Amino acid sequence: MSAAGTSHNQAAANAGPGGGLSGLIAKRPEFVTLVLLMAICIAVTIANPAFLQPSTLIDIGRASVVTGLFALGVFVILAAGGIDVSFTAIAALTMYSITLLVQKYAPDLSIVVVFAIAIAGGVFLGVVNGFLVYTLRVPSLIVTIGTQYFFRGGLLAFIGTTWIMELPGEMATFGRLSLLEFETANGAIVSLPVYFLILPVVAVLTWWIMRRTLMGRAIFSLGGNPEVTARLGYNVKIVHLFVFGYAGALAGLAGIVHITANRLANPFDLVGTEISVIAAVVLGGARITGGTGSVIGTMLGVLLVVVVDNVLVMVGIPSTWQRVFVGAFILLAAAFFVTRQRKFKPAK
Amino acid sequence: MTKQDPQNRCFLELRNIHKRFGGVHALRGVDMSLQAGEVYHLLGENGCGKSTVIKIMAGAHPPSEGQIILDGEVHDELTPIQSLDFGIETVYQDLSLIPNLTVMENVALGEQLVEGHGRLLRTLDRARLKETATKALSQVGLNVTAELLSTIVSDLPLAIRQLVAIARAIACEARLVIMDEPTTSLTRREVENLIDVVSKLRSRNVAVLFVTHKLEECYRIGGHAIVFRDGQCVAQGPINNYSRTDLAELMTGRKISEKRYRTGAPSAETLMVLDRLEVPGRFRDVSFKLHKGEVLGITGLSDSGRNELALAIAGIKPAAGGSISVNGKPVRIHSASESIDAGIGYVPEDRLSEGLFLDKSIYQNEIALILRKLASKFGILDMKKGKEIARDISEKMRLNTADIELPVSALSGGNQQRVLIGRWLSIDPEILVLHGPTVGVDVGSKDAIYQTIQKMAEQGIGLVIVSDDLPELLQNCDRILVMSAGEIVADLNGAGANEDEIYQAMLGSVQEGAA
Ligand SMILES: Nc1ncnc2c1ncn2[C@@H]1O[C@H](COP(=O)(O)OP(=O)(O)O)[C@@H](O)[C@H]1O
Ligand SMILES: [Mg+2]
Repeated sequence: MSAAGTSHNQAAANAGPGGGLSGLIAKRPEFVTLVLLMAICIAVTIANPAFLQPSTLIDIGRASVVTGLFALGVFVILAAGGIDVSFTAIAALTMYSITLLVQKYAPDLSIVVVFAIAIAGGVFLGVVNGFLVYTLRVPSLIVTIGTQYFFRGGLLAFIGTTWIMELPGEMATFGRLSLLEFETANGAIVSLPVYFLILPVVAVLTWWIMRRTLMGRAIFSLGGNPEVTARLGYNVKIVHLFVFGYAGALAGLAGIVHITANRLANPFDLVGTEISVIAAVVLGGARITGGTGSVIGTMLGVLLVVVVDNVLVMVGIPSTWQRVFVGAFILLAAAFFVTRQRKFKPAK
Repeated sequence: MTKQDPQNRCFLELRNIHKRFGGVHALRGVDMSLQAGEVYHLLGENGCGKSTVIKIMAGAHPPSEGQIILDGEVHDELTPIQSLDFGIETVYQDLSLIPNLTVMENVALGEQLVEGHGRLLRTLDRARLKETATKALSQVGLNVTAELLSTIVSDLPLAIRQLVAIARAIACEARLVIMDEPTTSLTRREVENLIDVVSKLRSRNVAVLFVTHKLEECYRIGGHAIVFRDGQCVAQGPINNYSRTDLAELMTGRKISEKRYRTGAPSAETLMVLDRLEVPGRFRDVSFKLHKGEVLGITGLSDSGRNELALAIAGIKPAAGGSISVNGKPVRIHSASESIDAGIGYVPEDRLSEGLFLDKSIYQNEIALILRKLASKFGILDMKKGKEIARDISEKMRLNTADIELPVSALSGGNQQRVLIGRWLSIDPEILVLHGPTVGVDVGSKDAIYQTIQKMAEQGIGLVIVSDDLPELLQNCDRILVMSAGEIVADLNGAGANEDEIYQAMLGSVQEGAA
């Protein structure tokens, strides 16, 4: 007996993932995402130095905002052990109905109020998801597949199917407000829009919630073991409502950003992109089985997907191939993360 | 003695608590009352309801009937946060740690959660998180480093997880600390330390409710014994008023414990030989022979390697070294199906997650192993023959229902276990490994299972029972092998051995308590 068990403290010291590179990767899987991202950027730069131009970087920044907002919502839900595929439908429903309402009743409404209404609408729809997942005790994938159809069907059946080409008032101008603006060598004007700022602000907020509040710990805890989380005194219902509500809020926000950036409201937009958003989050190191992930990893995953989506063209890879690349990365990352788990999680 | 008012000393009382899980009546009218600063030992066989009563006090399960009285206030059930708020801290048998959070968070988050009465929209006080965790972890004897604090719990070995779970329970100011089998994987030094912790809690007027199967620990700590049998409280009083045999009798109920089911004898023909089998870090150098018609028991503490040995024979976690031969021929067992091909059946310990398809019918469960045999060459099942076989098995196992279409989830634990064992009758195994065959099974089902075991032995099947239920092994086995720290340390004759002797071997050099 004694020979077998004198060294618990040493075992504790060795129990954590070992030092060195593998230890770093185990603790911070987003490190892999970063390396992959840098590798692609370097490869693209070598093939076509034009990649490093400010205009390309700004393009990537702009293109990241909507995906990034969605991804932060998905990350929070994944961390809690759920999954959501209805957020694009929430975004489409809120953005289109709000545009219609504003156009009809209050064309001069301040953009801030528009955002507030969109967020409130998103929270409401998200909370519906959360409530259904909690009370029906059905996997959230099933529930949100259902609500995705429901929200989108409702939008197309009852609210409208036509494009709104002329956005009302501040909704039309907000997308054009720029943070900085300059002319490129060939005379084109590129600008970094104000709405870009929304992403870093929301990212920091999400980080703060997940890392610095009791709610954040409860979310990870729920993703780790729901039954035990309830047993330890966490209000599991509130956590469900919160994560789905939060993802809904970000979806509402992303919807408005999407239309102001495109300067048109298309009810058929967004739905269909949820898989690439989930892919971005998973590429950022969050496990699909829940309980892990980080904001920084999510942002890197988003960048990775956006870069692949937008710049492979620059090195002459046809756009049809981009999906193949994203798919290959996901499989690569999945294989990698799985081996990592086998290695570092002692079998139960 | 420390409190003046004798009526106030009883701060928690259970009145006529019943708990049913589907068909299982786990608690049948439990009355208990606990006083501050007192230590209680909740004793009883596996499956008698100890963990269930603990979960009811902790708010993890609502009782089906009865009341919980906290400081004179009557409750029909408690929520976890109510229970924590009142000062009941629990070390659950399954530890209930959150696998993906750090050691520090697991130990100390509860304090801040309870302080806010469960409110989640608060910022974390990270300095205090660290302070509380450090204090609690060093109290249980861990060497607290920044690395330990930030380690993810799922990366820890089991023994340290157990210490972390104990640390969590003593991290807050509690009035009652409940520990459900907290010492199963601790070393002696850590147990000594825990006994220290318990006496410190007691001196601060905290009540402690302790569940363990290691009686010598109970005698060392002292205090009250509460004995459960089949979901009822059968005795309560100072532990020193009871001898070991008294307690064993109370826990098992005399009749059952004395009857020896084994009457036959094994044949001389060798059936299976294990030669220096090894799984590094779990067990090593395990060699033994199993004869035709023999019932061989294997026991040991839960970290002794007995579970891993069972899994290795079954091919679920194959051995890395050594060899197994059946009927004189060496067999290669690297997977469960290779084990079945070698004629070895395995009834897993955790029947709910490993063995049974709960929502499928008894019939479907019983023929699960012979689907291929029942299918025609076009893959169509011979339902008629299947049902015949299933009916035959149900009868042999004396299931309490003749309806083979009933879903297994509708059966009691004992009957479920009979279905699981009965399934193996369909393939005529030469060897059957039973892992904890009566864990969570009531006395009546135990009787049926034991009779079946003996009947199978008479038919020449070699049986290996891996169990920590000592009376079970003494009643059923020809021989009992005791494992400790990964090795076989004793080979006892089932008819001549007694519980004390086995305990001694299991615990290695531990001396007798003050019995
Ligand atoms: N969640 C559950 N669902 C169904 N049956 C259960 C559950 N928990 C416990 N039981 C049953 O209740 C009885 C008592 O179990 P338990 O309290 O764990 O026993 P002990 O801790 O004394 O070994 C057993 O028959 C067990 O199978
Ligand atoms: Mg128990």
